[in-house]
Amino acid sequence: MKYDTIIIGGGLSGLVAGVALAEKKQKVAIVSLGQSALHFSSGSFGLLGNIDGKPVDNPIEAVAALPAAHPYRRLGVDTVMNLCSKVVPFFAEAGITLKGDCAQNSVRVTPMGKCKSCWLTLDEFATAGELKKYKKAVIVSISSFLDFYPDFLAAGLKSIGLEASVVQVTTPEIDRLRRSTAEMRATSIGRQLRGNAIVELADAIKKVSAGADVVLMPAVAGFDSEEPVKELRSLVGTPLFSIATTPMSMAGTRMQMQLRRRFEALGGTYMLGDNVVAGKIGGNGTVEYVDTANLTEDHLYAESFILASGGFFGHGIVAEPHRIYEPVFGFEVATDGDRDKWFDRNFFAKQPYMSFGLDTDESFRPLKDGKAVNNLYAVGAVLGGYDALKEESGAGVAILTALHVADLIAKK
Amino acid sequence: MEEYQKENISRDNFEQCIKCTVCTVYCPVLAVNPDYPGPKQAGPDGERYRLKNPAFYDMALKYCLNCKRCEVACPSNVKIGDIIQRARLTYDKKPVKLRDRILAETDVMGSLVTPFAPIANFALGLKPVKAVMDATIGVDKHRTFPKYTGKKFVSWFRKDAPDQSAYPEKVAYFHGCYVNYNYPQLGKDFVTIMNAIGYGVELLEKEKCCGVAKIANRLVDRARHDAKINLDSIRHAVLDKKMPLLGTSSTCMFTMRDEYPHLLGLDNADVRPDMMLATVFIYRLVEEGKIKLAFRPDFKMRVAYHTACHMAKLGWNVYSTGLLKMIPGLDFVMLESQCCGIAGTYGFKKENYPTSQAIGNDLFKQIESLNLDVVATDCETCKWQIEMSTSVPVMNPVSIIAQALDVEKTKQLNQH
Amino acid sequence: MGPNNSNKAAKAYDVIIIGAGATGAGTARDCSMRGLKTLLVERLDFTAGATGRNHGLLHSGARYAVTDGESATECIKENMILRRIARHCVEETGGLFVTLPEDDLEYQKLFVDSCRAAGIQADVIDPKEAIAIEPAVNHKIIGAVKVPDGAVDPFRLTTANVIDAQRHGADVLTYHEMVDFLRDGKTVTGVKLRDARTGEEKTFESRLVINAGGIWGHAIAAKAGITINMFPAKGALLIFGHRVNNIVINRCRKPADADILVPGDTISLIGTTSSRVPYDSVDNMEVTQEEVDVLLREGIKIAPSLAYTRILRAYAGVRPLIASDNDPSGRSISRGIVCLDHAKRDGVEGFITISGGKLMTYRLMAEWATDMACKKLGVDAKCRTAELPLPGSEPEAPKNTAKHHIIELSTEQLALEGRHGTLAEEIPHDINDDALVCECENVSVGEIKYAIDKLHVNNLVNLRRRTRLGMGTCQGSICACRASAIMARAFGQAAAISDLESFVNERWKGMMPVAWGQTLVEANFSAWIYEGVCGLGNNSTDKIISDK
Repeated sequence: MKYDTIIIGGGLSGLVAGVALAEKKQKVAIVSLGQSALHFSSGSFGLLGNIDGKPVDNPIEAVAALPAAHPYRRLGVDTVMNLCSKVVPFFAEAGITLKGDCAQNSVRVTPMGKCKSCWLTLDEFATAGELKKYKKAVIVSISSFLDFYPDFLAAGLKSIGLEASVVQVTTPEIDRLRRSTAEMRATSIGRQLRGNAIVELADAIKKVSAGADVVLMPAVAGFDSEEPVKELRSLVGTPLFSIATTPMSMAGTRMQMQLRRRFEALGGTYMLGDNVVAGKIGGNGTVEYVDTANLTEDHLYAESFILASGGFFGHGIVAEPHRIYEPVFGFEVATDGDRDKWFDRNFFAKQPYMSFGLDTDESFRPLKDGKAVNNLYAVGAVLGGYDALKEESGAGVAILTALHVADLIAKK
Repeated sequence: MEEYQKENISRDNFEQCIKCTVCTVYCPVLAVNPDYPGPKQAGPDGERYRLKNPAFYDMALKYCLNCKRCEVACPSNVKIGDIIQRARLTYDKKPVKLRDRILAETDVMGSLVTPFAPIANFALGLKPVKAVMDATIGVDKHRTFPKYTGKKFVSWFRKDAPDQSAYPEKVAYFHGCYVNYNYPQLGKDFVTIMNAIGYGVELLEKEKCCGVAKIANRLVDRARHDAKINLDSIRHAVLDKKMPLLGTSSTCMFTMRDEYPHLLGLDNADVRPDMMLATVFIYRLVEEGKIKLAFRPDFKMRVAYHTACHMAKLGWNVYSTGLLKMIPGLDFVMLESQCCGIAGTYGFKKENYPTSQAIGNDLFKQIESLNLDVVATDCETCKWQIEMSTSVPVMNPVSIIAQALDVEKTKQLNQH
Repeated sequence: MGPNNSNKAAKAYDVIIIGAGATGAGTARDCSMRGLKTLLVERLDFTAGATGRNHGLLHSGARYAVTDGESATECIKENMILRRIARHCVEETGGLFVTLPEDDLEYQKLFVDSCRAAGIQADVIDPKEAIAIEPAVNHKIIGAVKVPDGAVDPFRLTTANVIDAQRHGADVLTYHEMVDFLRDGKTVTGVKLRDARTGEEKTFESRLVINAGGIWGHAIAAKAGITINMFPAKGALLIFGHRVNNIVINRCRKPADADILVPGDTISLIGTTSSRVPYDSVDNMEVTQEEVDVLLREGIKIAPSLAYTRILRAYAGVRPLIASDNDPSGRSISRGIVCLDHAKRDGVEGFITISGGKLMTYRLMAEWATDMACKKLGVDAKCRTAELPLPGSEPEAPKNTAKHHIIELSTEQLALEGRHGTLAEEIPHDINDDALVCECENVSVGEIKYAIDKLHVNNLVNLRRRTRLGMGTCQGSICACRASAIMARAFGQAAAISDLESFVNERWKGMMPVAWGQTLVEANFSAWIYEGVCGLGNNSTDKIISDK
């Protein structure tokens, strides 16, 4: 089987690269071992929120302060800025509506009522800045839905000057779901919220939101598209925003589906549930083909290959007791010593292992024995040299490196 | 450096589960039936308890329709569907219902009914008969039974098929119950294509039902018995006679390739790589430049491809859709990969009927909205479900290719 | 925070027991059953010390048979008693002592003879039979002996003792550290406690104080000017992600590192190492890479699948070894139960120390201590703790048995009954309360409410010990936030959030020594949820009560 580009990994970075290349009329296949970390999304994307514990106001300006091996430094400030400007329209093509500015971080409100810095936020969610405009909020929680924390949220909102009361609602449709003791998840609810179920929920919300100038509810609506969210908003009348839930993330799941749909509509081939088990690098340092677990008798050939296989979660890198490596091509991952050095005792401190990943050349080509592989590129969480969590840069690195590598490949 | 703990290994990888919960999003049953504990609870979570004590087995696992979409979704390679099915086979000690036995015996039913096909089809279509079956054995009255054919595929093949002996290269064909008893035309289409590209067709010495329905209905011993017979015949064809084994049903192929070793404990590693769908075989030949296909210039069809669950699990839709896309007059649409709800005999059971239809609802709507001539799918039970629930006819890709193929021209192109 | 019984200042007790491990809780039960007015005091939580950090092995005594016949005899007697009185805390798995090719098969004969001498049934079986009944065992074994080992849940066992003590009128204070004794000359007349949550100091008078502080008993006694030479012995263990074995597997040799594999609830655990550690380290035991290596290397020999079974976490406990006299060198260690009347030993009246022993003999230790207390207080009452079942282990009412037959219980209902025995009936149960908080271990909203209301839960670690919340595969990734929201209703939000952060850290402490493969993925996933999605851990300055 032959493609122009084969992408290993179908999460945020893989799909962005895939869509970008398919838009440029390339024949692209994505092989994805299961579903991605996008399913846990907060509904916001971070670009660069923090450096060494200090909050970043303008991410573009802050890029220069990053270490040289950081993916953003590899891209360079100009490229980062240029790529950032493309992101909102790029996602809009997939039906994903984002707001935000790369030169000015905004603040998202977490499910626990904490504030974190971010770059882009789905239109459905409110940033702290937007919420400050309101005086009296009602937080609507859903009976038996445990992945939303209205009391913590209310306390947190108080710190940004918003008084919030908490009410609980249910509807006949939600009551039916509640029969399940374990499966009242954001996505389970989202799946049911269509047609009359939206009207029922809107009615229930209207009944309890009198007197409030803003309604906040868990992000449970919009399984297939943003339409149910819009419908709910218009039915409720009072300004309504979603607040992120703990997994599953309805908004993240939806983005995954929307990006995949966009990719397939552009003619891309998405192989879900398959696993790239090996890659053949020829004598001249060029990847010839990859093999997958399902297509055992066929090699998958391509001009270019992209490793978008993720970090530990996506099994883009794998830890043994004394070694960390990339499993498809067998790249060793530098770990700064033995396991003692991988971790900090404090869970919330900077964890060295979070920055582990592949080392690349300036064009994001992984190094094998110090030499870049000709036609292989690494994007997103498989890259080393940055701490997505501490920097609040995970989505930014995933999206920008994917767009950049797609540009590099298309220009070849 | 010690060599231990380089990887974690557990049966069906159940312990690789990190509780990310993604599987629950893609479970078609969970979406419509809150009494089902869901793939995470029924699978790896429940397994830890069942290992402690089989008494922890939850009877609600019977709602699983074994579509394996949880496995396809799992980022940690956990064989969630296998865990659940294995638990059902191991711990559910309740006797199998008469209705389930009847539904599971697809080949026995087929053999019994075939001589009386018109009567059977008529009777199975009658409202009173359906009502009686609904009330007595629990086959839902809304179900349209697949029609039985008056002449089995095998009889046609033996008596009326073109002579296959002239072809220097041969393939073995696993026709399955559906082709044999319900829809011989698909088998005939398969023979037409294979002959056109220069291959003769042989049947297996002995072919039994692949066993998918027996496994689903917990008739493991019967399934294993049949599976052994199939494997013996397949070995003879593949290993002794050097023929690949081709099929036209994704479910039969999936069952024989993956469920035999995983659920029935039968090792098939020696023949597994040579068992494939016809579309896989043909696609590869085209890609390798070994054959050429010529299509009729007047062929025009708007086709949407539905990825059957087991096809998604096999990951073979790239082959079937790849072939369809080669047909110049074919206007191709990819349907979103989701379960149609039938899951073999699952949807025939009265208690599952509403679930089954609700699962497929989005798919049916999508199909109706696309202004299609035909829906293509590699699974016969999806065909029943979609044809019963929409106004669009459903065809196997093999039949579509046979219709589109300029047989004579193709033959000329492929004369060895 | 917490629904602890407070405002008990100045109330006079017959006996105050310090330390609510199994021994202290058992002693409180025994004392209160014999009519003594009892206060049980714990500086942290029940089972926070050695009780909660061991194998959970229901010893048959076979392990001690060769080296310590007396302990072995005590063990088998208590083993049989616990099967009766603590049904819901015990799993009657049976045990095997297997001989590996590298071990001396001669030892088996000595072992069997010693077992029989101690009254422990020990049946030599064909290694093939052993492999048949426990396929996880190394198939190369050359000898096997069947013994009546089992598994015991120390958390449930201790909680059941506390509940029974309360039912018999005892008062219980957790998170109250004893800061000093009340003294009248050389006589102890009570204790001064500090409430760890408020910092408030309270005094309680009593006729007698019993020191059941385990390794911390050393410091408790010191406050009365008494020296008890204790030597902390650290034992590290590994918890595997699921049950590898269903029968306890021991190695038939002189006790050494990593020679017991115990199936307990949904997991198996291998242990232990044994090393002397400095006394000042007992509050912060960390498992080292070397200990993990030793446990795996040796554990694989008895069950080869441990080489590739996922490890959930590692932990270590401290055994108090006590010098049998005032020997400060620790050369002469007493192996058995030590019950000291400090009036006789040190001239301090009104003070008893109960120590040594092991989880298995907690009831017997309690009986000895209570016997001594009764004698000193002039109370004539018989011990009945061996006869009367613990709360939760009462014979089931017939209607419950019927229920099992009629309704098919779900996994979570069965799990609940398994944890709480007959007390499961007290757990609230409706469409709101049935929702699962911890999905790995099937802990419902109702069970958490019950634990908060009835089982002295002050924080998530307490809750984990009462319910198994967060003990499963995900180590709290999914459930801790949910549980914290319920905790917040009882304890306030600021406290609940910082408690959540320290709970996550407590889970991490156990995962870190074994963080590779999917366990590292799990930690990574947790970090995304807690730090990434929820934004925890950044600027928490709230005060929190937690266990280290």
